[in-house]
Amino acid sequence: MPVFPSNDWVNSFVEEINRNRKYEDTAKDWEGDFNFVVEKDQKFHETVYIYLDLYHGKCRRGGLYAAGEAPKAAFYYSGPYQNWVRLINGEFDPLKAVLVGKFKLKGSMMKIMRYTAAAKELVRTANLVDTQFE
Amino acid sequence: MWYYRSPTIVFGEDSLSFLNSVKSRRCLIVSDRNLEKAGIVDNIKELLPEDCRTMIFSSIDQEPTFSQMTSAMDSIMKFKPDHIVAVGGGSVIDTAKVILFRYARPDLDFYDLTPLEYLGIKEAAKLIAIPTTSGTGSECSWAAVVSDEREKRKNELASSEILPDYAILDPAVVTGLPRKQTVSTAVDAMTHAIEAYVSTWRNFYSDALAEKALELITGNIAEVLHDPGDIQARNSVHIGASMAGSSFSNSQIGLAHALGHALGAIFKVPHGTSVGLFLPAVVEFNSTVVHDRYDRLNSIFPESMRDKTLAGSLRKIFATMGQPVHISDAGISKDSYNAAKPSLEKLAMESTGLVANPRESESADIHMLLEEVMG
Repeated sequence: MPVFPSNDWVNSFVEEINRNRKYEDTAKDWEGDFNFVVEKDQKFHETVYIYLDLYHGKCRRGGLYAAGEAPKAAFYYSGPYQNWVRLINGEFDPLKAVLVGKFKLKGSMMKIMRYTAAAKELVRTANLVDTQFE
Repeated sequence: MWYYRSPTIVFGEDSLSFLNSVKSRRCLIVSDRNLEKAGIVDNIKELLPEDCRTMIFSSIDQEPTFSQMTSAMDSIMKFKPDHIVAVGGGSVIDTAKVILFRYARPDLDFYDLTPLEYLGIKEAAKLIAIPTTSGTGSECSWAAVVSDEREKRKNELASSEILPDYAILDPAVVTGLPRKQTVSTAVDAMTHAIEAYVSTWRNFYSDALAEKALELITGNIAEVLHDPGDIQARNSVHIGASMAGSSFSNSQIGLAHALGHALGAIFKVPHGTSVGLFLPAVVEFNSTVVHDRYDRLNSIFPESMRDKTLAGSLRKIFATMGQPVHISDAGISKDSYNAAKPSLEKLAMESTGLVANPRESESADIHMLLEEVMG
């Protein structure tokens, strides 16, 4: 069972994204990369970036990077580690979590507002990874 | 964690007189030409404090675009209003919200109006909404629908910072509402209540408001249509519509709105008519996952209007009201509808209405629902 966050976990996540028909359907016209930012907190002591190159409903490439080393992305979904744990465990709705300040979403609002269902499904796909936490 | 947000609501007969107590020196009145011609804007001016200077912006079309909504910004910036009073239907109130946003943040583009960031809008001016229709719920919501004519799209922009500070619900301003608009806006309000009640973002507050809203609207709409001047029945529907607006604003709209916005953007069908067209089919689609909640709502319908299922009751009440349930009844030919289906499907799939609909929906489901209303 891959540990979150790790290269193994990112690989499993990419596999789940590419298996997810609902994501493929809602994001079929999407072109743009994402950085999921896992911010350090009391339980996790180093901020890391999960980079995803997303194109037409599929993830072409994914990777785990230290802060400062991650490729630039069109969108950033960021939150502290403990909130990621709750998100992956399905305790948070990905969009509501942004509206109540548990996560931050940065990038072109014009684009993201047309793909809210895709963005929600992308983040929710993290629930599907069988995950072990540190 | 979640929020319940609402303006201060002033309601009932004579509630317009509240305007006299507003501490305003410079008030922008946003309305439309018809209401200005009908003298309603003058009434509002007279009700404001004597020492309050006013500016009127009434060049608002149905389903306005961002450029139409902000066409008077130069004059408004010079006027420097401390209050904005919106008197009208949903388009007027949404325009006032966009003006407030632009007035406070001229440095931002319209897509920057988002709930995801603090924008610092509230400090610029107080917003008072006076709905002259009973349906859109815009007076209680933190959303604004902005049409994009070039792309034939209705954008649903939102920020808690554009929620009006006050909503004034005076039944006197809706007694003259024509029958067609009374029906269309009441259907819109019923759709708000029903979609909010099954939204995955529903909560105790949105539930309570949705139930009461549906009771007030379904229990009084027949009387309003029979006797449009019945002030008590009008008052009940007016308050019910506002409660429905508050309900969806504190939860979410659903699939009927996703489809209705798509249809409205392409065929210019009135908003309430277009969402209502899809509502019974969407209720049937969602029933597999929320039938208990629909049963509860169905029990609220007056006995004379109640069928075995909520979808059946909706079809029954819509028939008595004159609300179409097939596209041909809404004046759309099957040929033009068929030709537009790919665009309708794409627009619906890109709507925020999909986000909290109780049943997951894919392109094939949207396609099936578009077929359902062909008749």
